[in-house]
Formats: sequence, structure tokens, C-alpha cells
Amino acid sequence: MRRERREIVPRFSAPQRVVHWTVGISFSGLLLSGLALAYPSLYWLTLLFGGGAATRILHPWIGVVYTVAIAAMAFMWARDMTLDRRDRRWLEEVPAYATHRTEKVPDAGKYNAGQKLYFWISIVLGVIFLVTGLPLWFPESFGPGLLGVMRLLHFLATVAGGLLLMMHVYLSTIAFPGTARGMVYGGVGRKWALLHHPAWLREQDRERD
Amino acid sequence: MATLDVKRISAGTTPAPAIREVRDYAKLVDVSRCIGCKGCEVACKEWNDLGVEPTANFGSYQSHQDLSPRTWLLMRFNEVEVDGDLRWLITKSACLHCEEPGCLEACPAPGAVVQYSNGIVDFNQDECIGCQFCVTGCPFDIPRFDDVTRKVYKCNLCIDRVEAGLEPACVKTCPTQAITWGTKDVMERLADSKVAALRERGFEHAAVYDPEGVGGTHMMYVLPHGDRPQDYGLPEAPVAQAGALSGFSWLRPAGAWLFGLGAVATLLHYLTYGPLTPDAVDEGHPPPEERP
Repeated sequence: MRRERREIVPRFSAPQRVVHWTVGISFSGLLLSGLALAYPSLYWLTLLFGGGAATRILHPWIGVVYTVAIAAMAFMWARDMTLDRRDRRWLEEVPAYATHRTEKVPDAGKYNAGQKLYFWISIVLGVIFLVTGLPLWFPESFGPGLLGVMRLLHFLATVAGGLLLMMHVYLSTIAFPGTARGMVYGGVGRKWALLHHPAWLREQDRERD
Repeated sequence: MATLDVKRISAGTTPAPAIREVRDYAKLVDVSRCIGCKGCEVACKEWNDLGVEPTANFGSYQSHQDLSPRTWLLMRFNEVEVDGDLRWLITKSACLHCEEPGCLEACPAPGAVVQYSNGIVDFNQDECIGCQFCVTGCPFDIPRFDDVTRKVYKCNLCIDRVEAGLEPACVKTCPTQAITWGTKDVMERLADSKVAALRERGFEHAAVYDPEGVGGTHMMYVLPHGDRPQDYGLPEAPVAQAGALSGFSWLRPAGAWLFGLGAVATLLHYLTYGPLTPDAVDEGHPPPEERP
């Protein structure tokens, strides 16, 4: 006999939520403190971190937290985020997805191709931030030429990461209401799952039946 | 020094306030006249009250091996072979006070590096955040970072003396007038006459060191072997913005535009398409036949 269907479908485990928010909060801190030091007009943001000198000290240490969290994230999600043939079809329908014509978009599993790409780009950016950030942390150990290149790459990664974060926050809050609760409480509404990840919902129901 | 004389500050967002016509000064170091007495080192220590730093014999007449946060001036006793002869190419190692300072270009802290109309480039430790970008931005390897205070220090050309109409302490103390002080144009003329005299004496490659890549400097050298500045520990062609860092001046505004465009695009998307709420499933998203 079929059991009653759940109105709330579990989506993220507590450890996953903790890792996600560690990445999210540390990256936001890094973005604010980093932009404060990259843009003289945003230098006032250093007040959030206790002034310019304190910001200079804190930024790399927040980076350490971020790097560890990114590594944990890579470890926890890598398998779920592997791209397959279905994802290619999904990517072809990005214009439809972006304009809410969901009927044209192929059914997504637990993660759609856009989320998967966002995940992998985040990992790559994490590596770039680490590799280019270490010389900026200890500038005297590296030559001036190398430091200039590192500073540019670190900045370019910041622009990419900042824009992606903007998109991520927009899509997961006001653009697609019901998304954020999964990352806060762990479960998502049945209707939301049906709308955004129908293939995943079918799978969940099968497993439960 | 008064705000009216502030010509340029690091990480400034608006033009600096200098409107006063002041003379720009220069220190001229005639290496050929230096007898290596290190009186200038002591005078620098005394005037700036920087204290004694113990040193050890490392097989040179040089007092210390390197500049430090408390040693802003070091006479480097470079031992170099010239035409089969050993020569002491003594160099006064201290801030050159560039007209286009690499330290100022590299500094992200507003007002931590200040350039005055009289040519002095000074570090304002109150504003310094200890990132050490100036250390790598300097083509002459002059600024030194203090691990305890987490600030960077260097020669300020005795700005307090210069303001009061005096010459820097090293100039005052030099017994052979190897170091002279005056307005930049006067020092340039003096340097040219010194070079001409040296050439007459057989130093055919004698030259003034006042590199163009940094817009000229407010400490110039007369080098007897001007064709080989590296042997004096001076870079041949220093520039203010080394390598990739020069790209920063246009990448920064480009990045700001991208952030702005991203925000506008997001807003336009929201206003055009609005939210896609879970209730959309009641309107046939996705098609009923695909529903579980």
C-alpha cells in the first residue's frame, strides 16, 4: 500500500547545510573585505572588520575557513554534481529556463545542469583564490612581478565570484520562492520539488514506496 | 606638512589638494666623493631617533647587511671588478623619492603613502594597513616591514627638517659634500657639471642616475661607472607600475561596471519575469503526464 505523500521532502542534510553556510558566510566576508581593499571608494567597508589594518589581518584567515569549507563542499557534493548527457539537453534550454517557460526545460534530477556548473566553477574559483591569495598574504616571499599577476588574477576571480554569488542569491530567494528553505531547514515543499526537480521527486517517491 | 602641499595620496578617490607653488627639492649623491665614513648613517639614526641595531662582521666594511624598519639609510660597500681592478662602488641605499612612486601606486590604503609638492614621498603609519604591497611595488627594494607593529617604514627625507627650511640630516653631516641638497633644477645642473668633471678625469662612462621610468627621483646619483648601475645595486630601467599591476588601472573600473550591470540585469529580470512560485505546478508546470 502506498504511504501518504509527504508535503515536505528532505533535500539537504545538516552537515551539508553547515558546510554550505560556512562557504556562504566566509565568502561574503571575503567579498566585502576584499572589495574594501580593491576599491578606494569602498574602503569604508573595512570598518565592518575593525579598520584597515584589522581587515588586512582578518581577510586571509577568513580565507582559510573558506578554503576548508570549499574542500568539504567538494568532497560532499562531487558525486551528485557529475554532469551527464541529460545536462547537455538542459543547458540547451537555458533561455527557456531563464524566462520561466519550465514546460520546455527537461526534467532535472536532484541538481540541474546550471547548479552543477555553479558548483564546479565555485570549486575552481576556490582553488584560484587559494593559489593567488597565498602570495598576497606573504608578499615578501614572492617577487614583485609574480605578485602583480597574482593580484590581478585574485581580482578577476573576485569579479567572477561576486557576479555568480549575486545570481545564486537572486535565484534561490526572490526568483524561485521556496528554494531557500531547503538550505535553511533541510526540506523543500512538494510543489517546489515537482516544479524544479521533478525527476528527483519521482526518485524520492519510488524509494519511499 | 600642510594639506596645501599634498600632491598625491595612495588610494585617493579625488584629486589631492595641492595648490601651493613650492620648490621641489633633490638630494644629490656623488659616489665619487664618498669616503665611506658612514656619518650619514649615524646622522639619520640620530635625527630620526631610530636607535642602534646590533650587527656582526660579515666580511665587509658595510655596517649592516640590509635596511630595516629602523635603518632607513645604509651605505652599501659593493665590491666589483672593473677592468681587472677591484673597486668599491659605494651606494647610498635609501628611498629615492620617485616622482611616480611605485609604492604609492601599489598601496590600497587611502593616505598611507603621501607625495608632497616638494618631492618627498612619505609613509603615514597611522593609515598603513601592513599589506606590504608597497614593498613589492618599489623598484628599488627600499620599504621595510616591521613584524611587531605590522607597518612599513622608510626614509622620509627628513621631512620635518625640510619643512623648517633645513637640509636632511645626512646632507648636513657629510664631511666631503658627497651629498648635496637643493632644488631639483639646481641639483640637475650640479650633477651635469660633476659628470663632466669625472669624464675629464677619465671616467668616460660617468652618468647621472635619475631614471625616467619613475618620472625622475628626488635623490639622484652621480655614478663614475654610469654604464653599469646594477653594480651599484641600482636597477637599470625601474618603472613605477611593474608588469601586470599596470592592468589594474583599467580592470578595476571594468570590474565595477560588471558588478553594476549584473545588479541591473537582475533587477530587470525580476521586473520582467517576476518570481516563479511553486503554485506554477497547478498551472501545468511541468506537464501532468510527467508527474509522479
